[in-house]
Amino acid sequence: MSQGQNQRAPTRPQTMVTFSIGPQRLAVPATSLLEVMDPLPVTRVPGAGRLVPGVVNVRGSVVPFADLGAALGLPRGGDVANHRFVVVEVDVGGDLSTVVIHADAVHEVASLHPEAILTASASLSPWPAEFLLGLYKSGDGFVILPDLVQVFSTLAKKPSTPSSNGTTI
Amino acid sequence: MKKTILIVDDSPSIRRMVAMTLGEIGYDVIEATDGRDGLAKALKGPCDGIITDQNMPNMDGLTFIREFRQQTVSRGVPIIVLSTDSDDTLRQRAREAGAIGWMVKPFDQAKLTAVLRKVIG
Amino acid sequence: MIPDDLAQLFHEELRDLLDSLDRGLLDLRATPEDPALIDQVFRDLHTIKGNGAMFGFAELSGFVHGFETAFERIRSGAAKVTPEVIRLALRARDEIPGLLDGQAGTADARQALLSDLSAALSDGAAVHSATRVANPPSLGQQDARQTHWQTLQFALDGAAFDLGVRPDLILAELQTVGAVGFVAETDAIPDLAQLDPSVCHIVWTCDVPPGVGEEAIADVFMFAEATWTLVAKDPAPQAQPMPAAPAIDTADNPPTKTEAPSAPTPSAAPTVRVPAERLDALMDAVGELVIVEARLTELALNSQDAALLATAEQITRLANGLRDATMTLRMVPIRSLVGRFRRLVSELADHLGKPVNFVVQGEETELDKTLIEKLADPIVHLLRNALDHGVETAKDRQTAQKHSVATVTLSAAHEGTEVVVRIRDDGKGMDPAKIREKAVAMGLIAPEASLDRSQIFALIFAPGFSTASQVTEVSGRGVGMDVVKRTIEGLRGRIELTSEPGQGTEIALHMPLTLAIIDGLLVDVAGERYALPMGAVQEIVELPADKTNPDTTSDFLDVRGEFVPFLRLRAAFDCAGEAPRTQNVVIVSASGGKVGIVVDRIISTQQVVIKHMSKLHAHVRSISGATILGDGKVALILDTAQLITLGHHQAGSAGHARGAAA
Repeated sequence: MSQGQNQRAPTRPQTMVTFSIGPQRLAVPATSLLEVMDPLPVTRVPGAGRLVPGVVNVRGSVVPFADLGAALGLPRGGDVANHRFVVVEVDVGGDLSTVVIHADAVHEVASLHPEAILTASASLSPWPAEFLLGLYKSGDGFVILPDLVQVFSTLAKKPSTPSSNGTTI
Repeated sequence: MKKTILIVDDSPSIRRMVAMTLGEIGYDVIEATDGRDGLAKALKGPCDGIITDQNMPNMDGLTFIREFRQQTVSRGVPIIVLSTDSDDTLRQRAREAGAIGWMVKPFDQAKLTAVLRKVIG
Repeated sequence: MIPDDLAQLFHEELRDLLDSLDRGLLDLRATPEDPALIDQVFRDLHTIKGNGAMFGFAELSGFVHGFETAFERIRSGAAKVTPEVIRLALRARDEIPGLLDGQAGTADARQALLSDLSAALSDGAAVHSATRVANPPSLGQQDARQTHWQTLQFALDGAAFDLGVRPDLILAELQTVGAVGFVAETDAIPDLAQLDPSVCHIVWTCDVPPGVGEEAIADVFMFAEATWTLVAKDPAPQAQPMPAAPAIDTADNPPTKTEAPSAPTPSAAPTVRVPAERLDALMDAVGELVIVEARLTELALNSQDAALLATAEQITRLANGLRDATMTLRMVPIRSLVGRFRRLVSELADHLGKPVNFVVQGEETELDKTLIEKLADPIVHLLRNALDHGVETAKDRQTAQKHSVATVTLSAAHEGTEVVVRIRDDGKGMDPAKIREKAVAMGLIAPEASLDRSQIFALIFAPGFSTASQVTEVSGRGVGMDVVKRTIEGLRGRIELTSEPGQGTEIALHMPLTLAIIDGLLVDVAGERYALPMGAVQEIVELPADKTNPDTTSDFLDVRGEFVPFLRLRAAFDCAGEAPRTQNVVIVSASGGKVGIVVDRIISTQQVVIKHMSKLHAHVRSISGATILGDGKVALILDTAQLITLGHHQAGSAGHARGAAA
């Protein structure tokens, strides 16, 4: 089962992992999370563009490093000491692929009821709606649910140009 | 003490299938890929019984049986021919060569087991 | 139920058998009377039939039985092999895979095929079907046996002991069908002086309950050389003694010793079949080991600890040995592909009406299995081109005073660290003038461009050089040649083409021995490390001082009189910072030409384990893969073919520069 289906039709509470990129909180299902690790050296891939700018050695495998923040138009930030690599397994164009995502901080594991999920409306939200499964309210802000399958499948299909700005793919 | 059966067949899958059945019912198994290989292994021993194919490269089953029966070590070693043919003259020739019986493929594991119990004990 | 691994073994073996059958049938076409070939074909059919039956493919087994029966006429000498027979036999062979995976055509179609085959083999005469005379029903006293106890008397034949018959087992089995009252008559045992202990002299009798028929008794004696009689007791008609098996005294008829086959083939060394995934897993593990070994060596060198250095050296040696052994495991002979090619050539030659003798050399040459699989399509392409465009019609060949049967050769051989696969035809060859004309018309080259022969031939590998019809016009062979070239170069191989008008064309595929680990040249560009496949590296020179400024010079290098375009990786890869004062140029070459790659410095040469890039980087052209270095960081492996294209493109856009340089 692809992770996308997992996220789209939840009937029971799902366990999510929350992290932030810049000021924004995000959540991905714990089922697609392989591990969270301290940042590793990233090898730049020339011509790959800024959305998947490099590769990382994750336990002997060469894994693409994706700048999810850039794809969603989020600025980076935060204390370097809190930076983490979030390793996820995502269906990319039909194959289960491992991808490393940069997170400015990783927060918690939370249970999310499907009823709490709001639809991201293209006109109202500041984020590219096509890459969101939805969002939910938590504390005084919103946590967004990135559609990793959509994001990475789009990246695999259509490379960005190095000069593109952060919000276009 | 476990008895050792020599399987002579050029088809790896048949060898494996027979070997598995034999292993399950408590025989040790030696495999040979054709008559020539079979003869070498039968003469070297140990060998308490032989199951051989007829149609094989290098040396066919009947020749193998005849050659083996020339040797004194072959005394008392039952040989069963396992073949796709059910041709009566061929069976007859197999008996003449020194085989004790003939089994026609396909056979199932139960049948093979029964035959071995009958012949080798 | 048949276990998975056994089923897999069955399928693998069947594939081999079908390949062997293919080869046998095609060879038979060339030498229709070769008894060894006929035997081999027959044996393959026989084994397919038997295995099919054993593994529950009754329909397959039945069909192959018909196939085999038809072929029996050839083996018995009653019919001859004709091209038509081979054609039908190949079609029949093609039905077999479908019968395994349920993709088969209709049974009627198969039956029709077998009928055709039989007809082709019968020379008009009726084909003998393999009918067997049913055994006449056993004589007997069924009625009496149903109601009366019977007496069974049996004796083992003279040779029974030698043949391994065990009286104890027979007695035990008789008991299981209810026999009682066993009596052993020892009257026939001779005096000790005359006693042959290997002969059984005892005659047994016993009582068998009513209802036990001859069949059940025959069953008991199925594997025994015995003579037996079963008669009903009491007021029953007297039965004639009836041997279950004809009594044969092998002792009196010693078997004649048969001659060993005249040309003994060495029996094959024992082999083990291993699923490909396990080999891949092993290769991965060895890959990791090579990486760790590099790391260990680095640490040992830094520490300057003699004991550690010595250990690291040992590990290096062991790792290399293990790597070599593992690579050997992945090697399979190119023979596994050849059957398919024979088939293709044979069918295509028929289709085109061009008689072709297909020669295969070096079938035993071994190549990495992944490579072999990936080579199949390009070779098919090249063979097709050779027949379609290279080979002339028989008539044209006669006009040209050539033998009317063309020869197409596929050869494979190890040359150094490469395997070279050559596809050669003795056809009409390629005309450089026509190719040039074509390339000019297409705007691939300027009309005044000066190109030597090999450069002209290289044009046919240009993308979109031609479509099929256009190629035929120029008597070239460009059908998908760019695709072939890309595939070969993607496998880190290169293509060489030589052609003589009127004499024929040869295309050589130079392939690396393995795909998983290569010798790499590690270079530094603005602090980033990249690996170049050593196989592509021709030489390394220092960038001349007058070429260091990218803004003021043309990007050509004079390498001993040859002008080679060069590519500054710093610029191509958008690197920050200033280039060092001295830079190196790594000259790499592939079939597309040569290019100099300007790097900051050379770090070292080392074995690199190739890791593939993910889909997310599939669009990155100049990178062919990645590897993990001793320090755990990733270095990218440069795609030399792409860099050459890039270099030439760049050179082309500065076209006047080339003219000036030349």
